[in-house]
Amino acid sequence: MLPTPDIKDLDFNVYEPSEDSFLLLDCFEQEIKFLKSYFQQKSPIIIEVGTGSGIVTSFIMSNILPESIFLTTDVNPHAITTCRKTVEYNNSQFSGCFDALQMSLTTGVRKGLVDILVFNPPYVPAEDVPEIPDSERSDTWLDLALLGGSDGMVVTWELLNDLDTTLSEKGIAYILFCARNKPLEVQKIMESRGWKVDVVISRKAGWEVLSILKFYR
Amino acid sequence: MKFLTTNFIQCAVKGCQSSDSSFPLKYEECELVAETQEFKPEFLVHMLEKINWSALVQVARDLGNDNLPTEKPELDPIMEDDVLILKDLHNLLVETNILNGKMICNNCGHIYFIKNSIPNFLLPPHLCN
Repeated sequence: MLPTPDIKDLDFNVYEPSEDSFLLLDCFEQEIKFLKSYFQQKSPIIIEVGTGSGIVTSFIMSNILPESIFLTTDVNPHAITTCRKTVEYNNSQFSGCFDALQMSLTTGVRKGLVDILVFNPPYVPAEDVPEIPDSERSDTWLDLALLGGSDGMVVTWELLNDLDTTLSEKGIAYILFCARNKPLEVQKIMESRGWKVDVVISRKAGWEVLSILKFYR
Repeated sequence: MKFLTTNFIQCAVKGCQSSDSSFPLKYEECELVAETQEFKPEFLVHMLEKINWSALVQVARDLGNDNLPTEKPELDPIMEDDVLILKDLHNLLVETNILNGKMICNNCGHIYFIKNSIPNFLLPPHLCN
């Protein structure tokens, strides 16, 4: 088993690595051979959307594709700070490239650029998607990491609807779902739009069933 | 924010997504710092494949560097002369950081700020969607 990055001094405004985060780590551990041969020593551009603590990006840097170009995005300024600390602490020997951007999804990223996209979305069904607070001191930042509106899918659909312009030709997206997101329906819709979709891994976590789907052309 | 990253970001306003002038952004009042990082020639050659060269030249000019060739160079990491050029590019792309500054969209004029090395692409409500 590959080592899990350490998260130091987690800010209470940032999502604490949980079952869903760990499922993503296991997903990449499972995909390691495929990803290494698929990108053949080239340096893929890897973007983690809504990166939170940065545990997943740090894990990929350490164990999966070290010589890559990493970008992380988050709307939460506290997450950006934590993510940078996580990478500094766990990846001091890292010799690729890394930057953390304050951004919603991939809205400010050049189109057709992303080779690997990773997203652990706010997937909890809720009445609304919370608004982005206008003050750093607001106490609602964490809600943005959790609440995903109707079916918990509002934010995820925003990303999926733009996937075609976001990903490079060979690009792959790894996205986490819980059962209440109806991932099989999502799979059917995306397949009807011409995407190939695989369920990479799934697991019962408490009362939730989590799965990670892989989307590619 | 690394100089390299300027090649990967564009205006976040939806109406600008299809405009050629929303990338690269225009860089103004930038405070630069150098941060040493290990030089890996092969990694740099792979990285160059991802680079939009004319955008790189344009941003370098914004930041006061007129020394880049107009065409993307073909470099071989085992040739000694090429390694020298790669070292220069490493110095510019990977080791040069923008600590603070402004990024302006050439299409809509929106100004984004870089503070403490973090670029902020959050939009005010009237520019969302």
